[in-house]
Amino acid sequence: MVVRDKPALKACRDLEEDLVLYYYGEVSESARGNCDAHLKNCEACRASLAEMRSLLPMTAAHDEPAQAFWEDYSREMRRKLDAVAESETWWRRIVGLVAPLPVPALATGAVLLLALTLTLTLTLGKGLWRSSTSAPDDEAFMEVLPMAEQLDFFSNMELLDNLDLLETLTGQGNGTA
Amino acid sequence: MAASPTARIGDEELVASAQKGDRRAFEELVERHKQKAYRIAFDFARDREEAKDLSQEAFLKAFTHISRFDGRSGFYTWFYRILVNVCLDYRRRAKRAPAEEYNETVEHQVDPTHVPANPVAPDQHAIAGQLWRRVGAALELLPAKQRTAFILKNHQGLSIREIAETMETAEGTVKVHLHRAVTALRQSLAEFA
Ligand SMILES: [Zn+2]
Repeated sequence: MVVRDKPALKACRDLEEDLVLYYYGEVSESARGNCDAHLKNCEACRASLAEMRSLLPMTAAHDEPAQAFWEDYSREMRRKLDAVAESETWWRRIVGLVAPLPVPALATGAVLLLALTLTLTLTLGKGLWRSSTSAPDDEAFMEVLPMAEQLDFFSNMELLDNLDLLETLTGQGNGTA
Repeated sequence: MAASPTARIGDEELVASAQKGDRRAFEELVERHKQKAYRIAFDFARDREEAKDLSQEAFLKAFTHISRFDGRSGFYTWFYRILVNVCLDYRRRAKRAPAEEYNETVEHQVDPTHVPANPVAPDQHAIAGQLWRRVGAALELLPAKQRTAFILKNHQGLSIREIAETMETAEGTVKVHLHRAVTALRQSLAEFA
């Protein structure tokens, strides 16, 4: 075992962030000149940069699956698309009526209301439902729930901003340097 | 590879057909982009099955929201953001024994028909396994946005500007995420440097 115990090399504190960007080739022209000049005279920062060069490329993961994997992938994907398409076909007819509602909260509310209405419809009009589709009642009802989640998806695209806030809060909480 | 009849059709046309309900058109989009999508998901999951599930989940989300694609960007750019959002939310589902994890994710994931030019010495192999596990653990410990910024830069080679656009945040914020992620990873991995 060649693994040794040693602390991470420390660059000069005020140059630390620039040095990371320097490593990735993301510093401005002036900052690059600054870094170059500093690196000439600072052994600690040179060592820090060398450590990034040896360490960071090793963190990437690579995988080259065989052809059989890709064939399975496509088959499985088609199955999943089938399942989604099937649940969407009848759902679209209903949700089309409330689709113009712009507020996610309203949409979610509408979904729940519809789920409730549907349950009642299914309970009260079982004969009628069965004549138009072969799906068992329970299955049809269960399909409503994932669709409700999907309506929320694009509001989840704003999740990044919420996470930012969360990280700030937890960052303050655990007080890491 | 045999030329498929859809080979000359652009993504835009396929999207237009998919928006009209043509399932085959969407399946062709999956065929075109599945390998790229999988590799990106693998950067996050570091596990073959989970990377497959993640990338497929992104395709399913693209499929159910295809009507919202407005063509202002290419399909892949639009899909890429969905994929990154799915990956950003990713947390390893079930904790497996770390010892078997390296075997499953690295050894068994090597194409069995591929013979390495330089067989890895047992000692090197042990270190590689140790490094693999340590990187995985260190990445999992990072806050989601730091991990995402780091993977998009370090593994996928996006520019800071592209990462900011993908993550819908300021370039300065991306730089801070990246710096923090690199600092944390270096601390976790110093012994391998
Ligand atoms: Zn220095």
